Amino acid sequence: MANAASGMAVDDECKLKFLELKAKRTYRFIIYKIDEKKKMVVVEKVGEPVLNYDDFAASLPANECRYAIFDYDFVTEENCQKSKIFFIAWSPDTSRVRSKMIYASSKDRFKRELDGIQVELQATDPTEVGLDVIRGRAN
Amino acid sequence: MYGGDEVSAIVIDVGSYSCKAGYAGDDTPKAVFPSVVGSIEQTGETDEAKADKEAEAASDSKNGAKPMDVDKAKTKRKLYVGQELEFRRDHMEVISPMKDGTVTDWDIVDNIWNHAFRQRLLINPEEHPMLIAEPSTNTGQQREKAAELMFEKYKVPALFLAKNAVLTSFASGRATSLVVDSGGGSTVVAAVHDGYVLQKSVATSPIGGEFLTDCMMKSLESKGVVIRPRYSFKKKEVGPGEYKVVDLDLPNTTESYKLYCMKWHMQTFLQLHMSFQMDNSMSVRGLPRMVIDSVNRCDVDIRKELLSSILLSGGSSSILQLKERLEKEVLEESSGNTRVKVLASGNSVERRFSVWIGGSILASLGSFQQMWFSKAEYEEHGVSYIQRKCP
Repeated sequence: MANAASGMAVDDECKLKFLELKAKRTYRFIIYKIDEKKKMVVVEKVGEPVLNYDDFAASLPANECRYAIFDYDFVTEENCQKSKIFFIAWSPDTSRVRSKMIYASSKDRFKRELDGIQVELQATDPTEVGLDVIRGRAN
Repeated sequence: MYGGDEVSAIVIDVGSYSCKAGYAGDDTPKAVFPSVVGSIEQTGETDEAKADKEAEAASDSKNGAKPMDVDKAKTKRKLYVGQELEFRRDHMEVISPMKDGTVTDWDIVDNIWNHAFRQRLLINPEEHPMLIAEPSTNTGQQREKAAELMFEKYKVPALFLAKNAVLTSFASGRATSLVVDSGGGSTVVAAVHDGYVLQKSVATSPIGGEFLTDCMMKSLESKGVVIRPRYSFKKKEVGPGEYKVVDLDLPNTTESYKLYCMKWHMQTFLQLHMSFQMDNSMSVRGLPRMVIDSVNRCDVDIRKELLSSILLSGGSSSILQLKERLEKEVLEESSGNTRVKVLASGNSVERRFSVWIGGSILASLGSFQQMWFSKAEYEEHGVSYIQRKCP
């Protein structure tokens, strides 16, 4: 159904990388961006499994919008190893209104391409994707 | 499907207080004018109407073609829009097309659109796709009416209707948020989830900027300050730096025009002096309640997310400290340790025009062009197709 959506296409690479992260756990995080010239969402960066949350947070640009997938490993109270896949829509206040608009209106479509997202976050500043928030939402 | 992005679209947002219109892709609207009209009931044949008729008759006999706005001459009232409102006219009543945030008089809206296209933007609506921002409370019937008017009267090539709250939400980069839009005539709280307005969450309150202006006028009156509209006196420079004020007596001015003049100028004044410390307790009391009620009508799973992204927009939201106060009071009213975050653009222009800016960007996206409800589709499927194309 048509929506007030921008209709950005999604590069196949996005899906493939996500499936690898989900099934083979070959990445810690994936950062996506919208290429306005190609009118599609493309993979900007992938993070190796050895990297941690701080590396992920550092990969989000301070004044540009991005989509991100983060695989969060944690230990539950019952001492059980678990992991959750986070989807993060990153749109800092300082980014251009135009890009905020494009990212927000393309999000729904993009998210539907990635099957298996467990938690979704919207963030405008680093505190909203802080480790404590992620930990809180994982439980 | 409409695929031409070489002709830029027009974005128009008729609010209860002002009408914003301009080209998609711009960062501020080209034309902003009051969305009220002056109306003079035409009981008898006034001179002007007579002259019009004579001219009509002359042109009729000349080329046999009927003038474009023949239906306008038939209506019993004469409407004045935009700058024409700046002149005082005898017996002119000022009326608004909106009541409680929804359109009740389509004739006036039609006039406002017409004014925006032909007098302000100087465009031919037949050549430009049109994106219209509509109130979140709009019913299906009203959307169809708007679409019909646009296609039948203005013959637009393509149309899109977008809800105010969705545009505001997108303009600040969120597809899910609780939009608190405090405009001139009313304050609307609406939850937006993944780009859709959740209709059951929409709450409106008649308290907006105009109510505040009323309060301020009352308070000034009680202090014995008389506010005089600009037309009621003349200022003459009798000598260098010396002015003489002459009162004018214009008995036929209507009460509504007087009020309109005072309000419009006062509002301009208030916008210029936003640091003006206003006792805003009147408008803020109840707002946190509205926010909480609206959130509670939504699905339990998204409440947390809504509370952590409350978006403040609209002209009246520029009141000093409103953001901080709303955040604090919602936090007090909400249960448990929920994260409450109120977001508002630091730029007051962006706040005032957030709906328009959202529409402007959306309509200028290359990839949006396939979303338009085109004239061909209108002719094929009829007006009710708008509900499918622009939910």
